[in-house]
Amino acid sequence: MNPFEYRRATDVAEAVAAVAERPDAVFLGGGTNLVDHLKLGVTRPGRLVDITRLPLDRVEPLPGGGVRVGANVRNSDLAAEPVIRSRYPVLAQALLSGASGQLRNLATTGGNLLQRTRCVYFQDITTPCNKRMPGSGCAALDGYTRHHAVLGASPQCVAVHPSDMAVALAALDAVVRTHGPAGQRAIPLVEFHRLPGAQPERDTVLDHGELITAVDLPAVPATRRSAYRKVRDRASYAFALVSVAAEVELRDGEISQARIAFGGLAHKPWRAQRAEQVLRGAPATAATFQRAAEAELVGAQPLADNAFKVPLARNTLVSVLTELTELTGATEPTQEDTP
Amino acid sequence: MTNPSNPSNPSRTRDTALSAPARVPTELTTSVPGGVGSSPHRPDAALKVRGEFAFASDLWHEDMVWGVTLRSPHPHALIRSIDITDALTVPGVRAVLTHTDVPGTNRYGLERPDQPVLAEDVVRYQGEPVALVAADHPETARRAMRRIAVDYQVLDPVVDAEAVVAGAAPLLHPGGNIVRHQPIRRGDPDATAPVVVRGTYRVGMQDQAFLGPESGLAVPAPDGGVDLYVATQWLHVDQRQVAIALGLPVDRVRLTLSGVGGAFGGREDLSMQVHACLLALYTGRPVKMVYNRQESFYGHVHRHPATLRYEHGADRDGRLVYVRAEIFLDGGAYASSTPAVVANAATLGVGPYEVPNVAVDCWGVYTNNPPCGAMRGFGAVQAAFAYESQMDRLAEAVGVGPVEIRLRNAMRRGSTLPTGQVVDSAAPVAELLRRVAAKPLPPPVDPAEVDLRQLPGGVANTTHGEGVVRGVGYGVGIKNICFSEGFDDFSTARVRVEAVGGEVAATVHTAACEVGQGLVTVLQQIVRTELGVRRVSVLPMDTSIGDAGSTSASRQTYMTGGAVRAASHAVRDRLLAMAAAELGATATDLVLAGGAVLSTRDGAAVDLAALLGADAVERTAEWRHRATEAVDPVTGQGNAHVQYGFAAHRAVVDVDTELGLVRVVELACAQDVGRAMNPQAVLGQIQGGSAQGLGLAVMEEIQISAGRIRNPSFTDYLIPTVLDMPPMRIDVLELADEHAPYGLRGVGEPPTISSTPAIVAAIRAATGLALTRVPVRPEHITGT
Repeated sequence: MNPFEYRRATDVAEAVAAVAERPDAVFLGGGTNLVDHLKLGVTRPGRLVDITRLPLDRVEPLPGGGVRVGANVRNSDLAAEPVIRSRYPVLAQALLSGASGQLRNLATTGGNLLQRTRCVYFQDITTPCNKRMPGSGCAALDGYTRHHAVLGASPQCVAVHPSDMAVALAALDAVVRTHGPAGQRAIPLVEFHRLPGAQPERDTVLDHGELITAVDLPAVPATRRSAYRKVRDRASYAFALVSVAAEVELRDGEISQARIAFGGLAHKPWRAQRAEQVLRGAPATAATFQRAAEAELVGAQPLADNAFKVPLARNTLVSVLTELTELTGATEPTQEDTP
Repeated sequence: MTNPSNPSNPSRTRDTALSAPARVPTELTTSVPGGVGSSPHRPDAALKVRGEFAFASDLWHEDMVWGVTLRSPHPHALIRSIDITDALTVPGVRAVLTHTDVPGTNRYGLERPDQPVLAEDVVRYQGEPVALVAADHPETARRAMRRIAVDYQVLDPVVDAEAVVAGAAPLLHPGGNIVRHQPIRRGDPDATAPVVVRGTYRVGMQDQAFLGPESGLAVPAPDGGVDLYVATQWLHVDQRQVAIALGLPVDRVRLTLSGVGGAFGGREDLSMQVHACLLALYTGRPVKMVYNRQESFYGHVHRHPATLRYEHGADRDGRLVYVRAEIFLDGGAYASSTPAVVANAATLGVGPYEVPNVAVDCWGVYTNNPPCGAMRGFGAVQAAFAYESQMDRLAEAVGVGPVEIRLRNAMRRGSTLPTGQVVDSAAPVAELLRRVAAKPLPPPVDPAEVDLRQLPGGVANTTHGEGVVRGVGYGVGIKNICFSEGFDDFSTARVRVEAVGGEVAATVHTAACEVGQGLVTVLQQIVRTELGVRRVSVLPMDTSIGDAGSTSASRQTYMTGGAVRAASHAVRDRLLAMAAAELGATATDLVLAGGAVLSTRDGAAVDLAALLGADAVERTAEWRHRATEAVDPVTGQGNAHVQYGFAAHRAVVDVDTELGLVRVVELACAQDVGRAMNPQAVLGQIQGGSAQGLGLAVMEEIQISAGRIRNPSFTDYLIPTVLDMPPMRIDVLELADEHAPYGLRGVGEPPTISSTPAIVAAIRAATGLALTRVPVRPEHITGT
C-alpha cells in the first residue's frame, strides 16, 4: 500500500473541495472495494477523503411518492427498509443477492454504484489493462474471458460491471444526485455508467471531485411487479454470471409497461430497451418473452469463454418474466444469512 | 498449540519472549473424561468458534521484523540480473536476500530436491520466489520489495501435460520433463469383451483452500541455529529440508508446531520455512512471515489437473473383463509429491472393483503451470471421477442400474488388486453401496412451500421450482492409507506418567501435527484407555522428539496412535513390574484401572500416585506398520499399500436445466472406519471430505491461462458455503482391520473421493448430459 493522506470530511462542500483540489484524491465510503484495490496496488491515491460521517444516511419520502436514498445508506439497511421491501422488491432482492452479510453491512449506496470491475486482469497489476493503466492494452482479449462482456464492449476493454444493486436501479429509472465543484446535478442512472469505448478508465460520467449525495427512486404504481434474478456459480457470495432486473405492468393480459436491465453482460448495467419495445403492448406469453430476449441479445458478441452467457441471459429473462406475469403479488426478499 | 511454560522441554526456555494475542487452549493440560470410542470435547473447538484460537499468523515476538517474498510475475523466464541496490536504501529494511545468500544447498523437494529456495537463472512458474526482504514493518518490506529490479527474459510457458508426454515441449529440468511414468500390467493385455465403453475425462486444478495462510516465526538461537514456529503438516521433513538449505546440522534447526488453520496436503511442501530462517540468521532478529490470501495461492501446491482416457470391457452381464487407461497428471513446475500421486492414480486406477485384465499408464510431468502435489485424496480423486463415470456408462450399456453394476464387480476381502496385492482385511464395497442405496430418498420439492435456499441458485431468486429436475447418482472409491511403496513409515511417541499434586497424570509427546483433524484428542483418549489415567496432557509438537511422519495419507491416528499405544504399553509394563514388587505379586496378575494397579487374583490394590512417589515412568516408542514394497517400474506389480479405505456416496441433486444451476439436495455416505476412535471426529471428517468433493464437482477450480492463476482469491475461487452443502445421512461401519491399532482404518480421504463422482452422476441422471469434466459449470448444463 502506498502512503496517503487521510481526511475526514464534516460537510459535503468540504468533502468536494478536498477531492477537487488534488487530482490524486478520492472519496472513501465503506471501503469494501477501494481498500482491496489499495492493497493490490490497483489504485494509488494520495489522499482519501472519508465521507462516512456526512449526513447522507437517510431514506426519505419524496413529494410525488418517490424515495430518496442517501449515498451513505448501507446496503444492509437499504435492503431491510420497509418501503424498499414493499414497493421496490427488485432493489431489495438485488441488494441481498450481492456480496456477503458482512460486506453489505459496510458497503454504501454511493460506493456500490462506483464499484470497479472484477476483471482479473484489472486486478492483476502485472498484466496490461487499459482501465487500470490507459494505453497499456487489454490482457483479457487473449486470456480467460468466462466472466467478461458480451454486449457493448470495445477493443480496449471487455470488462463487466459487478454491481447487483445498480442493475435494479437501472430498471427502476433511478436518478443519481451529485454535488460537484461545478454545482449539483441529477443524472439518470442509465446514463451514469459508461460503455468503455476508447476511455475504459472512466467507469462513470462523474467529474473529478463530484460526490454522489443520493439516489432518487421514482414513484411506482401499485400495479407494478418487479423482481431481480441472479445466476452465479454457487448459492451465495459470488458475482453474477448473468442477472436480470425486471419491472412489468399488466393490463388485460397485455404488458403495458416493462423495464428490463441485465447485469453481468456489459461494462454498465445494461438497460434492455430493445426487449422493452417488444414487450410493450404484447401479450404476456412465452413467445413474447423469447422474442424480447432475442431482440436484445441479437447484437451480442461473445468472447472465447463466454458464449454461454447469451442463452443464459435469454433463459433468465424468460423465466423472470414468466414468474412476474404469473405471480399475483410481489415477492418478498429472502434474508440470505439465516440458513 | 505452544505452551511456553512447559518445563520438560529445555529447547523452549527462551519462549518467555514469545506470546500470542489469543489464549493458549488450557484444556490441553487439564483432564477431560473419555477413552477410545468416546467423543470428548476437542481442546481447540470453543476457541476456534469464538475466534480466539492462536494460529501461526498470530505469533508475535517483541523485537521481531517482517519478511516478504518477491515472486516471479512470469510462468517461465530467464533471470538476466537481480539488482537489490535500490531496495536496500529504504529506511527500516534489515536484509534483502537472493539465491546467492543461501548458505547451504539451494534446492529442496519432498521426493526430489529440484526446487530452488530462491530462483537462480530461471523461473518456472508464476509466483516462484526470487528474493526476500526483512524490514521493521510489513509495509516497509513490501515497498522495498517493489524496488528490487529483476531483468527477465520471458520464455514461452509449457502448459500442456499431454504434449509433454508426447515429447513436444522444451526441456524444463535437466533430467527430462517426465517426473514419473508408472505402468500397471495384469492379465491379458489383448483381452476382448462384448461390451466396451470408452471415455475421456478431465479434472480441473483444485485448491486445498485452507483458511489459515502460510505463516511462521523464525527466532535466531545463540548456538548459531534457529527455532522455527510454523503451521505445517510434517515437522521433520521441514527440518531436514531447512537444514540442508541453511547448511546447518539438523540439530541446529528446531521446529515447533504453531496453530494450523487447515492443511489438506497443501502444507506438506515448504513455503516460507527456509525464507524466514534465512532472514532470521541474516538479521539476527526474529522474523515473522505471513502470506496474504493472493500470495497463498502461489505459496502452496494444488491438486493435479488430469486428463484420463479409459476403456472398460465387460461381459453382457456387466462383469468387467478388462480396463485400459491412460492418465496424464500435470505436476507443474516442480516435482513435489508427483511421483507418489502417480503411483496412487495408477495402482488405484480401476477403483474398488475386481478386474482380471488391466493395462494402466499414468504419467506425471513438468510444465510451467503452478506446482501440484498433495491434496486430500492424492491421485485417487482424479482416477475415481473417471472410473466411476465409466461404471455408469457400462451400466447403461448393459442395461442395469448404477448400484447393480457396481455390486457385480465389487472388490471384497481376498480380492486381488491390479498390482497383484491381495486385499487382506475388510473391503465392504458392496455393503457400503447397499447401505446408501437403501436409505429413504429426500422428498421432492413442494412448490407450495418453496424455500429458495433449498433450490438451485439458492437465495438469488433464481428459480421457484419451475423447470427443476431431480437426479440421483452413486459413487464409491478406494484409497490407500499410510505411506506406500516401501517407504519406511513410522512414528515416535513418548509417554510419561507421574504424580502431580497427589494425582497421577500422563503426558504425551510426539511430533505429529495437529492440523485441525482432532489428533490431540485421540492421543489423549488412547492414553486414558491404555493406562487408566484420566489426566492426560499433550505437549507441544516439536522436533525435540523423533519423527512422526506427515499428517497426510489418512495415517496419523493409525501411525502416531499406534506409537502412543506402544509407548503406553511400555509404561504399563514398567508400572506393573513396580506394583508387582510392591505387592509381592506377579505382574501378569495385575491390571491398570482408575489410577491404581489392581490384582485380578486377590483384589489387592496400590494407588499409582503412591506407587510412583516422586518418580516418573517415561517410555519412548518408535512404531511401524507392516512393510510395503515398491511396485515394479515396468509391470506395476507389488504389495505397495498397507491398508485401504472405502467410502460410498449417494447424491441427490436438483438441476435447473435452463439456468444450469445445481443444488445438491442430500449426500448419503457409508464408510468403513475399522474402529471409530472418536465418533464425532469421524463424522466431521466425513462431512468435511464430502464437502470438498462437492466443491470439486460443481465449483472449485483454479483457473489457469498461459500458466497464470486467474482467480487467486476467495472471491473468485469458489468453495461451498453452508448454503451449498446439504444435510448428510452417514453410516459408519466398524469392521476391524486386525493389522491396525484398535482395528482402525484411516478416515480423512475416502469421503473426498466418492462424493465428486456421485454428484456428477446425479447431474447426469437429471439432465442426460455426458459431463466429462469437473467442476461442472452452468454452461456445461445449458450446453453452450
